[in-house]
This record gives sequence, structure tokens and C-alpha cells, in this order.
Amino acid sequence: MRMTLYHGEPNGPSLAVLAALFAKEVQAELVRIDLESGERHTLPCAQEPLVAMSVEGEGAVLVVAGEAMTDSVFIACYLDDVGQGAALRPADPYGRWEAMRWCRQTTERTAPAAAYLGCWAHPPKADAALLERIGSVDLRARWEQIAAGEFSADHLNDSRTKIHQAAERIEARLDGRQWLMDRFSIADIETYAWLAGMVRLVPAAFAAKPRTTAWLARVRTSPAVAQALSLARTGDPAASWSVGPEINRWG
Amino acid sequence: MLCNTYKMTVGLMHSVTLYHWEPNANSGKPMLALMEKGVAFESHYLDLLKFDQHQPDYLAINPQGTIPAMVHGERVLTESTAIMEYVNEEFPGPRLMPEDPRDRWRVRWWMKFLDQWLGPSFSMIGWKVFVGPAVSSRDPGELKAAIERIPLPERRVAWRKAIYGQFTEEELKESQRRVALGIRMLEQELANRPWLASNQYSLADINGFNLAYALPLSQPALSNDELTPNILRWLRAIYARPATKACWALGRTNLVKRVTILEQPGRVT
Repeated sequence: MRMTLYHGEPNGPSLAVLAALFAKEVQAELVRIDLESGERHTLPCAQEPLVAMSVEGEGAVLVVAGEAMTDSVFIACYLDDVGQGAALRPADPYGRWEAMRWCRQTTERTAPAAAYLGCWAHPPKADAALLERIGSVDLRARWEQIAAGEFSADHLNDSRTKIHQAAERIEARLDGRQWLMDRFSIADIETYAWLAGMVRLVPAAFAAKPRTTAWLARVRTSPAVAQALSLARTGDPAASWSVGPEINRWG
Repeated sequence: MLCNTYKMTVGLMHSVTLYHWEPNANSGKPMLALMEKGVAFESHYLDLLKFDQHQPDYLAINPQGTIPAMVHGERVLTESTAIMEYVNEEFPGPRLMPEDPRDRWRVRWWMKFLDQWLGPSFSMIGWKVFVGPAVSSRDPGELKAAIERIPLPERRVAWRKAIYGQFTEEELKESQRRVALGIRMLEQELANRPWLASNQYSLADINGFNLAYALPLSQPALSNDELTPNILRWLRAIYARPATKACWALGRTNLVKRVTILEQPGRVT
């Protein structure tokens, strides 16, 4: 089946989808787009509701048989279903629950924090004409805040706390294991993709965490992630950020 | 075949206990999924309005103090949407996820959108209208202590805002904007196919019903037979299912009794 993957520099959700694609040996036309300048909003599918309203923000888009799919975890689940490579989720229902729960906590708690800190340190830039094309009012508002340099001290502090909590969860989870699940999985890919760029921005979160440090290196050099990273054009893909998921509005 | 039989036997030989509040929002998702699958479970009702979920005996099961939690044998499971996928895969009974991988992607996309974008906006309005007023008349000292016992800081903020009526006009206006847009998106999607995410009844419908079952009552100007015929058709079709009827019969508060609006086809304006 013909597939086209629109992706940005291999970091965050683009890295997760590229790594899943390579791990599952799925053939797709790879089309590079500049997520940091909002180029996703110029795609023909940009106004489709399941693209425009993706909770993930500026992530990769996989088009299969004319349907545009978003959200890196769920695209990875799709690729896991259709691809030939080793399974990216555990085989038993409890293991799959663990993997999906882990990914949910990562995308809900860690990803918004990482994207906020990443955009603060490496602001994406979209021109005014492009911002007007953004279909989601709240995504556009996040772009406008970044363009204006409006970063709240509360959100920055809370985001750093969330990165600390993520590293603590990983360090505890890796006690006696090499990967977050029993083997290399979607949980490793998704978690690494959001955290790789945080080591420099929140170094204290990773200090004195030998298991997490070794795991980061293990994931980075795993074949599928290494292949995805080899597509980098900037030399420092972990410094490439675009607008991510929204920080919880309340509770 | 032998493997399948074994798996089913293993799945059934352990008891299932569900810790839940009303068949509403997150609690109702695994309740309805279990009932659709025909899985017998021990129902352990936690009164959210009495803060049962922050008492030590429940925190021993789920230290985060969030509802629901499911205990299956020795396994403790949390996160309602992930629990539903477990229920679907672990137990025999009707399949609640479609076979086609792209349909499954759509089911998960909608569940995340409902859980993380639309749901919190419904919830903010619901907490202001129902949850906050239901508990705010209690003894102030008791309420303060109850808030301090909440394990997750973000849930402490949420309860404080609900109890003391601290939602700002701006926050509520934004929630109402999202509810209106979400209703339009649901109507548009349900015009494409009989069920929300695929041509078969799925976890996305269970998730969506828990969020939207009272729409004709809570948002009558935005959702009614004239403006959103597909949403009303969808809600009535889900409510007509025996599992849904049995699930909502477990409700104890007026909140979930609003579902009876769906027994009046054509009278909603």
C-alpha cells in the first residue's frame, strides 16, 4: 500500500515515527517538511480535522490510501500492525496495557513539558501569513506566544519538574531491565524522542541516574533510532523543536 | 486454538474488581467495556463527592488516587482508556476494536482527543455546575483537609478551583468554545459512518458516550435533533444497547440519570 510520511528533523514525534517505520521495515515515501516554520500547515491535508486538531501539535503526518494520520504513538501502533519487523509492543494484553499506559503518561506529562522547554531554548519561527493558516485556535495561540517570546516562569518551572519526574520514572523502571518493557518497544522510542533534547536543557534531572544515562545511549544506537537520526540535516537534531502538545489547562 | 482456550481460561479464572464512581466519564469507560464483553466483575463504588478515592484503603491500590482502577487477579490497572484496551484483549466476548489497522488508529485518535482535549472542557463545566456545588457546603476545615490529602498536585488545583468556584470567566469561555467545536467535529465525523471511528461499535463509542450522553440536556442549543441529528442517532443507538442500560442502572446520582433524555426520541429541541 502506498504511504507517504511527512516528517521534520528527527526529534520529538518525527523521530518516533521514523524510528517505528524503520524498525517495522515499512516502505514509505519520505518527504521532509520544516515543522519549525509551520510548513505542515501548507500540506493539502492540513485542514482535515484529524490533522488540524491533533493533540500532539506539530508532529509527523503519515498518509495511507488518501487518509492522513497523526499522533506518533498511534501511527507507531499502526506501523506495528502492518509492518514486518520485530513487534514494537508486548504480545500479551497486560504487557500491552503497560506499554500504552507508559506512552500515555509520556505524551500527557512529559511531551508538553519537553516541547515547552525545547521551544523556549530553540524557538521555532513561522511568519504571520503562515500562522493565519493554522486551523486550530489553541495551537495558533501557542505559536503566537512563542513568536512573542512569552514563556511563563510557572510553566518553565513546572516543565523542569515534569522532566525530573520522567527521569525518575525511567530510572526506577530500568532496575533490572535494559528496556522500558521486556524488549525494545514503542515506549523506548516515544520516551527517548521527547527526552533526548532535555539532557542539555535540564541536566540535573539526569545526573546520578546511571541506568537512564545508559538507556539513552542504548536507544540512540539501536538500529532503527540510529537510522532515523542519520536523516538529520542540522547536525544537532535534538535542538530542533516545534510547537508541541498543550500543557494541561487544569487538573 | 488450544492457546486461545488457555488464554481465555486464564483470563476468566481470576476475579475482576473495578473501583469506580458513577457510570460517567472515566469511571464509566471500563464499566461499559466490561459489560459489553460480558465479564462479571465486583463493583466497588467510590463516592467521589465524599473523597473516597483519597482514603488510605484506596491509595493502597492506586497511590495516585485517581478513579477508576481495576484489579484482575494480582494485576492492578489504571488509566481508563488503557484499561479498556486490556479488557478488550484479555477477555472473550464481542470485539471492541476493529480488525483494520487504520480503523484502530482512528479509534485511538478519537479516544485521545476526547480524553485530553474535549473531555477536560466538558469536565470543567461539569465540575463547576455539579461537583463543586455538591461538596462546597461541607465544613470548611474538612474540605481543606480533604484537598491536602490528594496525592497529585494538579488534582489538588482542580479540586480547589471546583470547590471554591475559582474557574475564571476566560477559562470557562475557552471550555465552552471547545465544547462547541467538539460537538461540530463529532457531528461531522458521525455523518461519515454509523459509529465514531469505524463501521463497527468500538471503544471509541464507549469513550464518547461517557462524555456526551447528556449533551441534549447540558448543551441544548448546540446539540439537538435539528442541529446534530447524527450525534443524537449515535447516542440513542448506544443507549439502546443492553450493556449500556445495565451500566447506567448502577448510577446513584442525578448526574447520570440525565441519560433518560435519550429515551425521548424526537422530543429534544
